[in-house]
Amino acid sequence: MKEWISKIGKKGKVTNNDKLEATTSQDTTGQFTDNFILNLEMVKQEIGHNWDVHFREFNLGRTGIRSIIIFVDGLSDKDLIDKHIMPSLMVDFSAEYKQDLPYLKGGISKEFIKNEVLSISEVEEVRSIKEFTSKVLTGSTALIMDGSLNALILGTTKLKTRTIEEPVSEALVRGPRVGFTESLSDNTSFLRGSGEIENLSLVKFQVGKRSKKDLVVAYIKDIVDPELVQEVENRIKKIDMDSVPESGYVEQLIEDNYLSPFPQVQNTERPDRVIAALMEGRVAILLDGTPFALIAPVTLSMMLQSPEDYYERWIPGTFIRMLRYLAAILALFTPSLYIAFISFHSGMIPTKLAISIIGTRSGVPFPALIEALFMEISIEILREAGLRLPKPIGPAMGIVGGLIIGEAAVQAGIVSPVLVIVVALTAISSFSIPQYSAGFTIRILRFPAMLCAATFGLYGVILFFLFMASHLVKLKSFGVPFLSPAVPYRLSEWKDLMVRMPLMMMKRRPKMMHTKNPIRKG
Amino acid sequence: MKQTHSKIRPLFISLSVFLFLSLTGCWSSHEIEEQSLGIGLAFDKGKQSSIEKKLNEQGGGYSKRNLITATYQFITPLVASSTTKQAGPQQKSYVNVSESGDSFHQMVREISLRSEQPVTAHHMKVVVISESLAKSYKLEQLLDQNFRESEVRPSCLVLISKGRASKTLETKKAGEIPAFRLAGIVENAYRSTRILPPMSHIKVESKIKSGSSFLLQNVLSANGQVKFAGAAVIDGKTHKMTGFLNEEELEGVTWITGKGKGGVVKSFYKETGQLIVYEIETMKSRIIPRVKGNNISFDVNIESVGRLSENWVLSGNTFKNEFLKKAEKSSEKEVKRLVRNVLEKMQKEYKVDVAGFGNRLRIENPKVWKKVKKDWDQTFSETPINYNVKLTINDYGTSGGSKK
Repeated sequence: MKEWISKIGKKGKVTNNDKLEATTSQDTTGQFTDNFILNLEMVKQEIGHNWDVHFREFNLGRTGIRSIIIFVDGLSDKDLIDKHIMPSLMVDFSAEYKQDLPYLKGGISKEFIKNEVLSISEVEEVRSIKEFTSKVLTGSTALIMDGSLNALILGTTKLKTRTIEEPVSEALVRGPRVGFTESLSDNTSFLRGSGEIENLSLVKFQVGKRSKKDLVVAYIKDIVDPELVQEVENRIKKIDMDSVPESGYVEQLIEDNYLSPFPQVQNTERPDRVIAALMEGRVAILLDGTPFALIAPVTLSMMLQSPEDYYERWIPGTFIRMLRYLAAILALFTPSLYIAFISFHSGMIPTKLAISIIGTRSGVPFPALIEALFMEISIEILREAGLRLPKPIGPAMGIVGGLIIGEAAVQAGIVSPVLVIVVALTAISSFSIPQYSAGFTIRILRFPAMLCAATFGLYGVILFFLFMASHLVKLKSFGVPFLSPAVPYRLSEWKDLMVRMPLMMMKRRPKMMHTKNPIRKG
Repeated sequence: MKQTHSKIRPLFISLSVFLFLSLTGCWSSHEIEEQSLGIGLAFDKGKQSSIEKKLNEQGGGYSKRNLITATYQFITPLVASSTTKQAGPQQKSYVNVSESGDSFHQMVREISLRSEQPVTAHHMKVVVISESLAKSYKLEQLLDQNFRESEVRPSCLVLISKGRASKTLETKKAGEIPAFRLAGIVENAYRSTRILPPMSHIKVESKIKSGSSFLLQNVLSANGQVKFAGAAVIDGKTHKMTGFLNEEELEGVTWITGKGKGGVVKSFYKETGQLIVYEIETMKSRIIPRVKGNNISFDVNIESVGRLSENWVLSGNTFKNEFLKKAEKSSEKEVKRLVRNVLEKMQKEYKVDVAGFGNRLRIENPKVWKKVKKDWDQTFSETPINYNVKLTINDYGTSGGSKK
């Protein structure tokens, strides 16, 4: 981990300096002056060629002072401009002010405009054209007045929000039907709004060199380990990318080990999941423009947990969770066990089953590996195709593809019916994993497992398992061992590992998080 | 950029390791459908089959003495696929192949000269040894290859057949697999006291190695049908078969050992001579060795709880306890007869202990056992044995007696 940080650090520094120099040299030339015509010319040069940038020239308060407002069509709230900005600027200014005009030499006091004319909440002054363009292009309205040195930036950004919907990738039967949206302020308001969380800190960062995006690191100040926050913030500061379109970029740029097939940062669309994680002393990262928030650090067990485990009573919660562990194991190992048993250990199959397997396989021309690969790959293709197809066709495609290909392959004698069961079981099991990204891991690892099984049989499967286990034992996510609390072994926390004990028994926050305030209850 | 290379190197290394792995191919991989599942085995006195004779006439064969004929029963992929088809089995669902020779292992390997799918023995269910073979060869020699090889499971059963063992692996019913039939009958011990507890390879081996005498289930065959009938007595010293216990004698042994799980006792009511049948629900037996100086004797306490399952006694009112008591007595008498019968046979005729008396003595009196174990079967034949039988009828079914 240390290695990683130092490396990114070095790279980051060099490029930062280069860019800084470049921007400062531009800054000296790109400043507004008190010459209205020149200013306007400069702005037009910079952004005037864009068709969606609108210039509206008018005279201030019937005085003959020229001024102009500049805004981007669609990004700025036209309603606000028409109802609150334009009218107040264009109506007669009060008589006293008009009397004072001569002293102002044909110009106008921006203080007067700011303090007495504009009836909107966000007003800001900018001097550099660079800053000016970035504000205008993100939806603010600029007001340039004759005789005024600075441009006024009026906050008219129209937030394009969509209605809150149920998260698509993490549906629950019981639990809030609220998912994050693409708007950062909406998302942070979900966190703030869900009960008054004491000491919830939302710290803002900017990521992306060219297209700047807001990123918020959320944590609960009196719970979280300050070193963890420091580490997360450091890694975020080191992000050096042109643009960061999705939180997946952030995830990949801050994770510990990019060679690992296991995701070391969790992504979620569910505010309740984020809050639960914050309460355990974890850190959440929200990025503007994506409904996927990130949670760090994560452990393997979190991949197989769903918020529903806690919302249901503890007995069904435990049952479902165990079922999911079983499903994960099945999804990972069933095809490889099939191959191992069929090609190596026919003696380990119960006799009568062995006879019927022999019977159904006697016409199959391929070894078990080819057969299994054929079916597994085609089911993966089906799955991918089902995702890409338009929504109404997708599920139908799955059924048609699954049923017909399976049935036809058996009829044609390419695969045995037992394999169709195995593949179906694998697919169903992998669907039951509550996290899409974690499901990916298992779907991918299945293939090396199958190759191992085909080379060494059951011994190979065990080797593969050991290989995977040793990797997992070594893996850390932000300093927290990935397998904790299983490894390192903390029996007291097994209450929330494979079983979900009654809530009143879970009195403490997870120890691995080194929380400042370890007591959850009582 | 250099740093990224150093990070990527392990990726390439692991990738190439994986690729090399796949180059090695599939070590010792044998697809299941390329094998025949051996499920049964029968050992007989050497007698060449007609096919073998014809092959030998054309110049087949190798240097051997035709002492033993081994009959392998297996399921070939072809047979398996025809039986698993929906239409149901039309022809035989097994294949029997006989090989004659003197070495068991050599005989198995001969099969791979005759069939494209070699036989595997993982699923071997039963080994049937014919009486004539068991009487002339030591059991440990006959089964040595099976014990030695890891393919044959220790749970594979051993049976003795009075006739030709290969006949017990034949059937005329379409779809029936004879080896499974034999293994399945052993499971019926909860229905009859005439079935021995299953004698698997591992148990046989332990008996042979410890030098104690034991019983093996005997199976008869006629016209493609089989029946479990009595047991063969294997002498602990010679490891050869010395004789038979018939079905009733086997029942007696079951009562002495108390290992029965069910079955019936038929007796005749003393007063009327009519039939009474007692069905065993539980059976318990305690063999207590009594040692006084050099004299060893045994007490056998047999207890059983069961129900009156058939009653031909017209005057018998099962609502009345006196009748039930009398019925118990009558059944006890029958059990005593069975026990006396078999004790006599064991002690007087065969002079072997196959009911586990020695084992009890070993457990309770190890010092004495050490002295006598060398010649135990002889000692046993002169040991007095007392036995007590207590049967309790706790149930007479859903029918009582007529009201008078």
